[in-house]
This record gives sequence, C-alpha cells and structure tokens, in this order.
Amino acid sequence: MNEFCEQIADILDVAEVKGADVLRDFEEWDSLSVLSTIAMLDARYGINITAVDLKDIRTVAELWDLVQARKE
Amino acid sequence: MSVSEDRPFTLVSGASSGIGRAIALRLSPRRALILHGRDAARLEAVRKDCADPPAHLIWPCDFRNASQVASALTDFMGGIPAGIEGLVHCAGIVHVLPARSAGLEAVMESLNVNYVAAQQIAATLLKKRVNRARLRNVLFISSIFSRAGARGHSLYCASKAALDGLMRALAVELAPEVRVNSILPGAIRTPMAETAMADPEIMARWQQDYPLGLGQGGDIASAVEFLLSDNARWITGQQLVVDGGRSVNLSLK
Repeated sequence: MNEFCEQIADILDVAEVKGADVLRDFEEWDSLSVLSTIAMLDARYGINITAVDLKDIRTVAELWDLVQARKE
Repeated sequence: MSVSEDRPFTLVSGASSGIGRAIALRLSPRRALILHGRDAARLEAVRKDCADPPAHLIWPCDFRNASQVASALTDFMGGIPAGIEGLVHCAGIVHVLPARSAGLEAVMESLNVNYVAAQQIAATLLKKRVNRARLRNVLFISSIFSRAGARGHSLYCASKAALDGLMRALAVELAPEVRVNSILPGAIRTPMAETAMADPEIMARWQQDYPLGLGQGGDIASAVEFLLSDNARWITGQQLVVDGGRSVNLSLK
C-alpha cells in the first residue's frame, strides 16, 4: 500500500498521504484528480473504475480496498 | 489471393483494436495491408477478421521505444519487394495527468507513440533504397484535441498538435508525389474511450456535446477511404475533422 499512497500523494500534490486521510479534505481532490486517479488505477493496476464508484469512497484506505477487491 | 510480389501495401499502425482495427477491416477488400500493433496474437486475430487474410501481413513493434522503429521497419521492408504505397498512422496513447504531474516518462511515451513513430515511419518509407519511391499517401489519425485543450490532457493535445504540424510540413515537401493529410476524430466508441463511457456523467455530457451523437470506428474508416482514394487527388495538407459536429457546438445547454 506504500506505493499506492505515494501515487495518490502525487496526484494530490502533497508530500504524503495516510490510509485514514479523507480524500475530500484535500484541496486538490477535484474532478481532474478524480480523472487522474481513474487513469492511474487503469495504468498501474489494470482496473477500470468510474467516477461513480469513487463517490462512495471516503478515505485513502477505502480506495485501496476497492482496488484490492477489483483486482480479484 | 496471397501476398504478391508486385502489389504494394498500405501500412495501418495501431490496428489491433478500436479505430485502427475498423480502418483495417474496411480497407482489407481492396488493399494489401500491413497490420501494425504491439501484440502479434491480437494482430493475427484482426488479420483473420479481414477480407482475404492471406493477402495481409502483420508487423508487431512497440512504438513506446521510438529509437528502434526505423531499423525495425527497414528490416521488415527487406521481405516485401512490392513496397508500401500508403501509411495510416493510427497508433495512439493517452495519459490523463494534471499538467504539474506530467513527468518525463509519460511525456516521452506520448510523443513517441503519437508523433515520433509516425515521423520515423514516414522518413523510412521515403528512402529509395528501402521503399523504391512507392509512397503515395500518408494519413495521420490525429484528434480534435490537436486544436483544443482538455483538462488533464496536456500530453495528448501537444503530441497530436506535433503530429499535425508534421502533416502540413510533409504535405508541402513531398508534393506532388505524395499527399499527406490528417483526420481529427471526436469521441469514438473504442476501448480507449471505454473508461470515460462507463461514467454516466461523462456519457450524459457527450450526448449533449455531440450534435450527431458519438461516432463509431467505421465513421473514421469512411474518411480514411476517401482521403486514400483518387477522389481526394487535390487535397493535401489538411485536417479533416470527423466529430459529429462536436467542435463547432457552442450551445449553452
């Protein structure tokens, strides 16, 4: 999950993120970040999620759980 | 019909899926094709779906590594004395990234696939000792993003604009022997657009933005057929927009 946190931190333009961090609390979590996250998950993890899937996701850890669930 | 010694080929890059595949299927009854893609197995599958499969060849090559494209194509051409008369560069890659996150690796990948590969292929096909001055027609599959902006698409917009710049320069330099044009598709139902199409909000917006609705690979194949034909004999150096009216739609709602 460390690498995943780095990738999310990069999208959010912050030094680091933790599992408990709430995505919506970040200034940079806008529609472009959502788009970038979707593209990153497709490129790095080979999974297709939509903006609708992301709406129910609160924290970084929850997003990681979704990635794990979709990978299986 | 099988591969002939004197029937020149048309090279379609990015032919494994989406628009490139639709172009290959459309051209296959009347042209001998070289189908390019990254994956040989997927190319073989496309070849089997083409009209007259034995008439066509496959050329697997990874354009992300641009330094090998010219030499790989030169080697490949050694086996086809009939040469290549037409090039349709359809290979393309999209990185969706905020401008501040566009690292060099993503920049180079976008440029290599969308632009450098097209330039290297064209240069190779213009060498007499490789292609015997057989080239007559070059078509680049660009994008309406070549002339506009879209958030998160700086690399895609820039690489497609580079491609269209090359198109105009080649059109002037290679006339009258070779015609060079590009086609600028809007949103087409392809695997590349799959993620966006799975999003109901984006789909709803697209329904509004596209007066004629979303396009299909065949709509681009029709434009390719026209520009490759003698019906387009006095057309060179042009961007043909095929986008269902998207780029001229300024409706507020």
